[in-house]
Amino acid sequence: MNSPARATPALSSPAAARTALEQVAANLSLAVRGKEKEIRLAVTCLAAGGHLLLEDVPGVGKTTLVEALARSFSLSLSRVQFTADLMPADILGAQIFHAATASFSFRPGPIFRQLVLADELNRAPPRTQSALLEAMAQGQVSLDGVTHPLPRPFTVVATQNPVDFSGTYPLPDSQLDRFLMRLSLGHPAPDVEARLLVLARDAATAGTVVEPVSTPEALNGLRAQVAAQRLDETVADYVVRLAQATRSHGDIERGASTRAVLALGMAARAHALWEARDFVTPGDVRAVLGPCLAHRLLLRSANQGTYTRDEALHLIEEIARKVPAPR
Amino acid sequence: MRRPLRLRLVLRDLSTAAAFASMAISSQVPVWALVLFALALIVALTGRRPLARAPRLTALLLLPVAGALYLLVASGRMDLVVAACSFAGIVAAQRLLSESSAATDGQVLLVGLLMIAGGAALSGELVFAMCLLAFAVLASLSLGLAVVEAAVPPGEPVPVRAVMRPLARGTLLAVVGAVLFFVFIPRLNWNMGVRRATPGLGTATSGFSDTVRLGGSGTLKSNPRVVLRARLTPDPVSTEHLSAYWVGRTYDTFDGQEWSTIGAANRRHRTRVTLRPGADKQVYQRIELLPAYGSRTLIALETPAKLGNALTHTPTGDRRTRLQELGGDELRFVDDGLGYSYEVYSLPPGTDTDPGRMNETEMAQLLALPENLDPRVEQLARRVVGDEQDPLAAAQKLSAWLQREYQYTLELSGDLADPLEDFLFVRKAGHCEHFATALTLLLRTLGFEARLATGFFGGERVGDEYIVRAGDAHAWTHVLVPGRGFVTVDATPPAFRANQSLQILESLVSFYEAIEGIWRTSVVDYSFRDQIDFMRGLSRPPRDPSSPERPSGPPARAWWTAGLVALGVYGLVRYLSRRPRRPSMGEATRLVDAVERQLTRAGLPPRDGETLEDVSARFTRDAHPLGPTLAPLTRRYLEARFGQRPLESGERARMLEDLRRALDTWRQGSRSNAP
Repeated sequence: MNSPARATPALSSPAAARTALEQVAANLSLAVRGKEKEIRLAVTCLAAGGHLLLEDVPGVGKTTLVEALARSFSLSLSRVQFTADLMPADILGAQIFHAATASFSFRPGPIFRQLVLADELNRAPPRTQSALLEAMAQGQVSLDGVTHPLPRPFTVVATQNPVDFSGTYPLPDSQLDRFLMRLSLGHPAPDVEARLLVLARDAATAGTVVEPVSTPEALNGLRAQVAAQRLDETVADYVVRLAQATRSHGDIERGASTRAVLALGMAARAHALWEARDFVTPGDVRAVLGPCLAHRLLLRSANQGTYTRDEALHLIEEIARKVPAPR
Repeated sequence: MRRPLRLRLVLRDLSTAAAFASMAISSQVPVWALVLFALALIVALTGRRPLARAPRLTALLLLPVAGALYLLVASGRMDLVVAACSFAGIVAAQRLLSESSAATDGQVLLVGLLMIAGGAALSGELVFAMCLLAFAVLASLSLGLAVVEAAVPPGEPVPVRAVMRPLARGTLLAVVGAVLFFVFIPRLNWNMGVRRATPGLGTATSGFSDTVRLGGSGTLKSNPRVVLRARLTPDPVSTEHLSAYWVGRTYDTFDGQEWSTIGAANRRHRTRVTLRPGADKQVYQRIELLPAYGSRTLIALETPAKLGNALTHTPTGDRRTRLQELGGDELRFVDDGLGYSYEVYSLPPGTDTDPGRMNETEMAQLLALPENLDPRVEQLARRVVGDEQDPLAAAQKLSAWLQREYQYTLELSGDLADPLEDFLFVRKAGHCEHFATALTLLLRTLGFEARLATGFFGGERVGDEYIVRAGDAHAWTHVLVPGRGFVTVDATPPAFRANQSLQILESLVSFYEAIEGIWRTSVVDYSFRDQIDFMRGLSRPPRDPSSPERPSGPPARAWWTAGLVALGVYGLVRYLSRRPRRPSMGEATRLVDAVERQLTRAGLPPRDGETLEDVSARFTRDAHPLGPTLAPLTRRYLEARFGQRPLESGERARMLEDLRRALDTWRQGSRSNAP
């Protein structure tokens, strides 16, 4: 997760932040129809300074959503298609030798953008996948002993196809843990699909037709606002108790990490902005619980090959029902 | 049902063990109760609860135990308090082995409290205080963990590590608070229920009784407990170990088995007693008899002339006590006490002394022999002494012969029909009582007047005083020498006269007794006057008798005290101000409770696991008529509860009234819409 730029002041009020968020969400709805909840969560993830993992079958609008996000916030975008022969240098950049001056110069890779779309991340071998780790955790790239800072804001949105696993490399836990949220768009409702036909617009270009409604500076301001949100001790305790419940659950092999606890707190802070609040409630925590935790849990059934995505969400819902919220 | 927290149960069981120990240290609880409790504790600490399957049956088994104890008390074979304490121990054992539940835990701790009360009734010593402290700390931690455990929802781990630190800190603060309360808050002397204080490490063992049974107290020689402290004037500064006889009482009648005195007790009680006329160069002694002494007989360096100015140490303070004269030069304190202090003037050894007031019967008794005395005793005496006519010379000859021919041993020979015959002709080994008895009777067969004296031999220098240990208890012979009075002749080999305990044991006991002394003076005897003196001492220096001038202005001590107090207050204020201020959550939580009650009464209860936030969101989503009323109320509740904007005075009532009105309207609307 990136920390918000220090120089960027917070927005004037939670109400102004809500207005900004809603403006972006409304803009995104023009590109991705019928997915208000997912759009809201994606914007929340960006506002919380987190990286997003989109997991779904092809053709439901993942790329469209990312492009629309970049357009809405006027972010520089790069799209990297992860394939089996992709090398780390193809993402990070390389030192180029200039014969005329007999010197090296750094040629930045596609990662040096404010929004990086890592398409089908799990198709690249682990070595290439891990090229993203430092960038995602620290917002910088180290090559040949030289550290290159990435632009701010910096966000990685990765996609992966949950069905076609042949020839893929499952994302390692450390990689998964670095994504603040995992979202699944799913197929649009039939009426939405019908309306898309009427509009006669190519879904692939929808993302590029939305107009910019915000700026990278405004996103930095949102992030500063999120970091300043108040999290009451009892709510913090609630977050920890939820995480602990995942660790002691009989069906869960490995529960939420400490990074997951921090991510959950940050996402809940960002979620509170949708209600124009400057404090977090247990409802905010529950609203982001599934997207923040489901991809980080290792279920016992996963060892038997019967793991499904919904199973983790189901267990999280069960835990949320059992762990009493502070009142 | 959730499995109880192991640590909590261990703490609970250990606290009960500490409570039981507070009674057990008085050594009055019967051995069977000790064994039963110890077994139960060991089983409980391993985590097994074998009585969990039949809790009622095993509880019923306590009834016959209670009946048996009642019979023991009724028949006078057991003290009521001891019986009650034993029963409490058995009840605790039964509860320890039963399944843990809130009720069982409460009962275990309650029985623990009762046992502590029993321990206070049986003893009030340093070890009791340690047991009390251990019980208080362990029971508090266990109770604290129980509260945390109850608050954690089922299925979730109890955050033991997170809570143990604040719990331990709270317990420590409570202990410190109790100490400060004890030191500073004025108290009343409240000693109801104090039965009898025991002298610390087990019962007192000085061996003084009305009779001396030959071969009865051999193991006493290895007991290193200090029974007596004395300051001597003039002080023989150069001596680390005194070779002195401290006499307690004398015996003139031997019946073949045990020694006794025929002298009748003098009924008069006096504060000072003169046994014989004084002389020059008397040795003045300021003596303190410690609780371990366990007898009321006065002890003095041989040969005491004047005794008096006695104080009895009791749990309520010191008080003057009087002395009673018994036969055989024995003086006894009239009142019972934990310890005593008094003054004595003794005649130095070698001084010709008046034998004291003795009537004809008593004088005749100095030659009395037991009826069935073996005739070989007299033959033996004649063979050793020959035709010596001087009693002292004869006694010294016999003494030297006994020391040469006989062995010293602490092994007891058991009950014998004639222990003297056994010593002189069979075992030829014994301890000081055998040697002293043999010498006394050998002398008497020859017509020399003699008696048995008991007391202590020796004395170790500690600082500027001498201490005498229980193991220094000794018996020797007084020979009546015409013109000189009673002269001490000791037949016991010199190496075996004094205390024979291990050096390390002596050091350990000395250390314990030093702490016990501090406990006694600083805690047990700490009075209102001590409090006043302590607080006065904080601001005023102790008076220095060498400088008559009063210092001008407050002394440095007062400045130091004021500085320390100021530092303490500053630290406390700083600590409190640094702690994050938490707004009062109670008002907001009461609001949400009341809202849920109203909704439930109106037939709109929250669904399973739903918070007010969820209910409000659902109402808004479903366009419920109550949504517009509930949404601002919920928002205000959330602000007050999690957003640090507490409810204003009367705001809760106002919002509840609004909700009530909205609900009434909604009900009326529902009714009118109903077909």
